[in-house]
Amino acid sequence: MLIPLLLAWTPNPALQAAPDLPDLYALKASVLETGTGEVIEHAVLLVEGGKVITVGEDLVVERGIPVYELEPNQVVMPGLVNAYTRVGVTGSGPSGVQPWMRASDELYPAAGDYAKAREAGVTTLGHYPSGNGIPGRSVVVRPMGASADAMTLKDDAYLKVIMSSSKSAKSSLSGGFKDADSWIAKEAKNKEKWDKAKEKFDKEDDEEKKKKLDPGPYKPIKEDPKATSFMELRDGSLKALISVRTAGDYLHLIDAIGEEKFSWDLRVVMTRDMNIYHVIEKVAESGRRVVLEPEISLHPGTMRQRNLPAEFARAGTPLVLVPRNDSISGFEAWRRHVGEIVASGLDRSIAVRAITLEPAALLGVGDRVGSLEAGKDANILILSGDPLEPGTQVDAVILEGALVSGEMNL
Amino acid sequence: MHIKTNKKTGSLNAAALFLPLAMGLVAPTTAQEDEEPADEWFVLQGGDVHTGTGAVLRGASVLSKNGKIDEIGYDLYIPEEAEILDVAGYRVYPGLVAIESRGLFGGSSDLANSVDPFSKNMVLALSAGVTTARNGSEVAKLRAGHIDGLVLTSGVLPGLSYSKSNPSGKRTLRQKFEVAVQYLEVYAQWEIDKKSDKELKEPSDKGVDSSILRYLRGEARPVFSASTRTDLLEIARLAQRFGFRPIINGCQEGWIVADELGRAGASAIITARDRSTKGEELVRTGGSSIENAAILHRAGVSVTIIPSSAGISLGGIVGRDLMHLTIEAGFAVRGGLSEKAALDGITIEPARLLGVESRVGSIEVGKDADMIVTDGDILHYQTFVQWAVVSGEVVYDKEAELFFAHIRPRPKSALSPEERVDAGETEDEEIEEDSDDSDSSDEGGEEGDDKGDGTFRP
Repeated sequence: MLIPLLLAWTPNPALQAAPDLPDLYALKASVLETGTGEVIEHAVLLVEGGKVITVGEDLVVERGIPVYELEPNQVVMPGLVNAYTRVGVTGSGPSGVQPWMRASDELYPAAGDYAKAREAGVTTLGHYPSGNGIPGRSVVVRPMGASADAMTLKDDAYLKVIMSSSKSAKSSLSGGFKDADSWIAKEAKNKEKWDKAKEKFDKEDDEEKKKKLDPGPYKPIKEDPKATSFMELRDGSLKALISVRTAGDYLHLIDAIGEEKFSWDLRVVMTRDMNIYHVIEKVAESGRRVVLEPEISLHPGTMRQRNLPAEFARAGTPLVLVPRNDSISGFEAWRRHVGEIVASGLDRSIAVRAITLEPAALLGVGDRVGSLEAGKDANILILSGDPLEPGTQVDAVILEGALVSGEMNL
Repeated sequence: MHIKTNKKTGSLNAAALFLPLAMGLVAPTTAQEDEEPADEWFVLQGGDVHTGTGAVLRGASVLSKNGKIDEIGYDLYIPEEAEILDVAGYRVYPGLVAIESRGLFGGSSDLANSVDPFSKNMVLALSAGVTTARNGSEVAKLRAGHIDGLVLTSGVLPGLSYSKSNPSGKRTLRQKFEVAVQYLEVYAQWEIDKKSDKELKEPSDKGVDSSILRYLRGEARPVFSASTRTDLLEIARLAQRFGFRPIINGCQEGWIVADELGRAGASAIITARDRSTKGEELVRTGGSSIENAAILHRAGVSVTIIPSSAGISLGGIVGRDLMHLTIEAGFAVRGGLSEKAALDGITIEPARLLGVESRVGSIEVGKDADMIVTDGDILHYQTFVQWAVVSGEVVYDKEAELFFAHIRPRPKSALSPEERVDAGETEDEEIEEDSDDSDSSDEGGEEGDDKGDGTFRP
């Protein structure tokens, strides 16, 4: 914690270099991707105070408002949202069940990767804690800010859970809820004991005796951070992102969850010949989001290609796509890779949504970022062409209304 | 946003409209569903059912309810909701039982928590007809796609060693048996004396091997790995002296001492193609024999068959792995074993040794609906498993998996009836095509339906 605080005073050189945009301005673009899947032609986008005021087709801009007319080839889209990354954080965490740990404690605002992430067009990052098992909670950050607090958009975005076909992985999930149960039971017993003492105290009329009987103010039993985390899951204040590798893992996950009700999304770790397709229908029925990498996989034991993101999308699963490689070069290739699976069958609007609004919703910041709609943060990418075409460059990046990468001329 | 509000009002309207209906109709049915889930019926219809108990029912049906065989025979009453698999012209056998297996379940041990129900090896084993297999000390069903209802039992086939290569171990084991027998004698005496003297204390079983007590009481049977004549004889003698029934794994020279093994009530786990030669210095008979299974069976030794590799191997050991369980049984038949005994050796016999014969190993009412449907004699090299059914559910379909679908594809006419194209259906299609031309003829078509298909033609 000390290091980020000390470094909080270091000015960020990349930020100063970019010329500031005015507080109120309009963008005119021939094509604008809203992030919801909608495409607006001849779009006008009005930004004030770092927020999108309005967006629409051929809107009239009041005289006096500076208008940035983009080139005809340029395309505007919301800043990319990477829901599952550790680019920028470098700590390593132990494995095990530690649902109280936070990735936000690892934040290092001066990390050079943030500037590179901005340049690649990533304006929102969901940092997950490292480690296996249930290693902790993720934090949502903007790749800018002098202190950890200034970067943070939302803490405790999701609890990271790694599930596998093993007794230990299954019991770390089901056992957590059992811990919560036993804590609640203990607490109830404690309360009951105090209540009885209090009742006795209240009934006693003799002042002398009453003094002896005074139970004092109620003291709950010691908080158990593990039990508390699972209680948070239950009451909905915390959600989980659960990673699996195989279809079997998914069935074991459902078995481990049992009757327990809590909010969770699914992440499928991509492997060369993955068999998650066996449960695509089941996953779609559950209505959970699925985090995938934009990659063509092979049907096990064959060279037959499968476009699993497209298969999930067709089954009706809300899709989140994260870069194949969790690195700056992975960020740079991200849009191109998404383009590849669109070329082989994924619906285009779902693909755009899967790297903007859907991951934002997964992170619980869908009301702030992920799409260009009125009232949302003005996180805007100006691209040299179609976002999913190979060769399309990021010409400029606007983060909460301010230009953080590239150039903009009136 | 617009879509959202529209949806909301839409659903509200629907709710208002259907509320009385829902109250009247839906409520009672949902209440019933809460009480107990609907029964799941499955029928293998019209196949030649080889029950594994000796009977062959030609063109019979097997009806299963919730994964258990409910009825076998002809003209069965089949519930409307039953899923029907028409297997006319095919043979139905009990699912095969592998006394040993490796790598079928993905997980290593504790299968309930570690099984990979989509593992490739599980599909391949099903394609070979195996529906139940031992994995370590657990016995599990190959319920592809499910992680529940898998493990049948655990702690099976406890091993013992009694070999001339370890003389001190032999002595120790014999002593353990002696101690256990003495204890049982004292215990039996105590049970008699107890009747006259109620105060009498139960004899202590301290120092008595509890698992050996179980063998002597007939609650479990130990497995010996032995192949030489000497070891086999010694085991037979040990078993007869102390009164337990040994299971002998390997048993290569069993054919030489088959009578002794039979008298000892032994069971043998045999690889029909095992080959070994006797030492040249020996005058006596020795080595392996293709007749091993047949001779042992004739002498009253129950025979279980397993290939030399119990894993799934697509290279190297091809033809001798678990995918060739039926081929291995076929080699036993070549050596003189009856076909019935060979089928038993890969179904009910291993089920008995594993203590799961009440659940699997034959097609009988009350047992698990674990069956395979083949396009020929199970022991024939050309035969393919077309479907495998576990717990009343198709878990393997040759045409649906990549492995063998292209080899001698299933004739289209043998598909389930609704996919057959018959003359009546073509006629219907013609009517539809014609009626598509104009709206008026479309209406006419609808009216005509009431009069029956034959009477109306546009």
